[in-house]
Amino acid sequence: MSDAQTKVKVHVENVNKSYGDNHVLRDISLDVSENEVVVMIGPSGSGKSTFLRMLNQLETPDNGTIVVDGFDISDKATDINKVRENIGMVFQNFNLFNNYTVLENIMLAPVELGKLDKAAAEKKARELLATVGLSDKADVSVNSLSGGQKQRIAIARALAMSPDVMLFDEPTSALDPEMVGDVLNVMKNLADSGMTMIIVTHEMGFAKQVADRVVFFESGKIQESGTPEAVFNTPKNARLQEFLSKVMHA
Amino acid sequence: MLKKFGFGFAAIVLLWLMAPTVSANEPHYTITTDATYAPFTFQDKNSQYVGIEQDMMKAIAKREGFTYTMKPMSFNSAAQLVSNGQADGIIAGMSITPERRQVYDFSTPYYKTGVAWIVKKDSKIKSLEDLKGQTVALKTGTAASEYGLSLQAKYGFKVKYFNDTDTMYNDVAVGNSAATFEDMPVIQYAIKNGMKLKVMNPNQPGNAGSYGFAVEKHKNKALLTAFNRGFAAIKKDGTYDKIVAKYLGASQATFSGTKADNETVFGILKSNQQALVSGLWQTIELTVIAIVLASIWGILLGVMGVSQMAWVRGLSTTIIYIFRGLPLMVLAFFIYIGLPGLTGVKIPAFTAGIVTLILNEGAYTGAFVRGGFEAVDRGQMEAARSLGLPYGKAMRRVIMPQGLRIMVPSFINQFIITLKDTSILSAIGLLELTQTGSLIVARNSQGFRVWAIIAIVYLILITLLTWLSRWVENKMTMQ
Repeated sequence: MSDAQTKVKVHVENVNKSYGDNHVLRDISLDVSENEVVVMIGPSGSGKSTFLRMLNQLETPDNGTIVVDGFDISDKATDINKVRENIGMVFQNFNLFNNYTVLENIMLAPVELGKLDKAAAEKKARELLATVGLSDKADVSVNSLSGGQKQRIAIARALAMSPDVMLFDEPTSALDPEMVGDVLNVMKNLADSGMTMIIVTHEMGFAKQVADRVVFFESGKIQESGTPEAVFNTPKNARLQEFLSKVMHA
Repeated sequence: MLKKFGFGFAAIVLLWLMAPTVSANEPHYTITTDATYAPFTFQDKNSQYVGIEQDMMKAIAKREGFTYTMKPMSFNSAAQLVSNGQADGIIAGMSITPERRQVYDFSTPYYKTGVAWIVKKDSKIKSLEDLKGQTVALKTGTAASEYGLSLQAKYGFKVKYFNDTDTMYNDVAVGNSAATFEDMPVIQYAIKNGMKLKVMNPNQPGNAGSYGFAVEKHKNKALLTAFNRGFAAIKKDGTYDKIVAKYLGASQATFSGTKADNETVFGILKSNQQALVSGLWQTIELTVIAIVLASIWGILLGVMGVSQMAWVRGLSTTIIYIFRGLPLMVLAFFIYIGLPGLTGVKIPAFTAGIVTLILNEGAYTGAFVRGGFEAVDRGQMEAARSLGLPYGKAMRRVIMPQGLRIMVPSFINQFIITLKDTSILSAIGLLELTQTGSLIVARNSQGFRVWAIIAIVYLILITLLTWLSRWVENKMTMQ
């Protein structure tokens, strides 16, 4: 990180969330700084995806405060659509728009929301396609793509809005193993370019390599967080130790 | 854009439907009748409404200086429209009874009648006692059926109801029902014209009485006075006797066409060409307008059904629940006969028919449209929203195009159902294909041939509609 003053991009304070009796998030607090890459790990059902989806209000917290980019999104008066324009999200199942071509998928939001005119949006879309290595797929239907290609298009689609923060919800979990590398490469380049990223993943190697900070979720709580070296090499929390022993030697 | 166009179009069509027929300075009346009631009222081979009543009405109107629109429909509907003020008068072989005098004011009687009981020509039934346990066919709302019912307890027969005379006759002629009750002059005319039935009491008609022209009680005094004055005049100068002689003395061919016209499919097609074409056109018109407007209404209901606001969703669910639950015919009667009784605003039959179809077919459409939107993967909406698209934009740009594609087969199915459902509107007197068939059968008694023709015409229409829909579907999926 440069010597510029560290700016908090995401501020989460005492957030709780329950589905009926199931208390999925318990008093979570977390700050993410500009340019920081935070990777969230933990067993399935530990609440990490729910937490991620709260950051752009796909889920709403029962209580607590969430401030993204200076906007308090836990405040009902905040125009969530405006805030979301600056938060890109990549889903496990890609969720590319089936009724559009690749290029149209990337152009849709900037054009619809008046951020770019058609020509500028197309120019930007083609640049992004080049960045993710799929220039030749501009005019094909999204259904003809492989999973890895779909996910790279999904990243390009999110980047088309020039977001300040990118959220990744298990972006490689639905991919065939040979596709994972291409997607992770794109994400690594993005991290290197200084994007603020919050990533839920099971790719421990990737976490070690790219994360500034690793956060371990378990039973709806952040059990431990720290640098990749600290979390992976000298875990203190017993549950983290148990989790790592399972995933690292699987 | 689609929505704007839809509303504009709907408004234009509705205005056109509501536009009243402009009348001249002479008083203009709406008079209902039952066009399956030869020799009093029926449709001749040229698709004109003729008969003793029609000629009388014409002569009286000319003499008294008024004009009228004659609306043929089932007797029951014809009577109800007058009793609730939707129509001004009824001339439909209506017997003057004490019960009816509570609701209607009657003219001087214009024809003496009585009730006959009738069986199949070669029936083994000899007396009313033989009807024990048998089925008797009756026409809803008629004095003859009241008379038949009054004998039910004594003779122990079962009753089956019909809406038009001819279907009722044929039910007896083919042996489904053992007997029927009908006004003497009407059955005698039918038998004379080849209906294979026989009257069991030609010399002792039951409940001897008279037919009268009727208006709603205490209303339309001018019309009733004009009718009485005109009737007295045509009786005095011999016009009335000439009219009666013309119909009772004439051979079948005079009004119904020749044997060749009626006993071959080609002959029926040729001699009824005009009626069939206009019935077909009415069916197409009803179908096309209903399909367009019901689809717009249905899509609107479907969009409301996936709204973010709970009360809008609830409204959609309630509307769909109500109009999907009501039988089409009940809805048609409610709108055409029921509502005007309450509001006093007349609704033309065509408008009532279209509104009925929009509400009913629109409810079914709304249900599958909502289902189609819900069938689009949730992730599509999440992805659209995560980019900052507001709900409405996400619906229009992402969810609706995908949902509509899922729904195309349901739309085609609903179009075909709409086409078939137009036939139910014959009940409120719309002269579409089915009602046209009824009128032709009422005249020529060729049930098998005429209904076969009508059935084939429907099949052709449905085939064309299916082809057209598939073609549109292919165009859509190729895009």
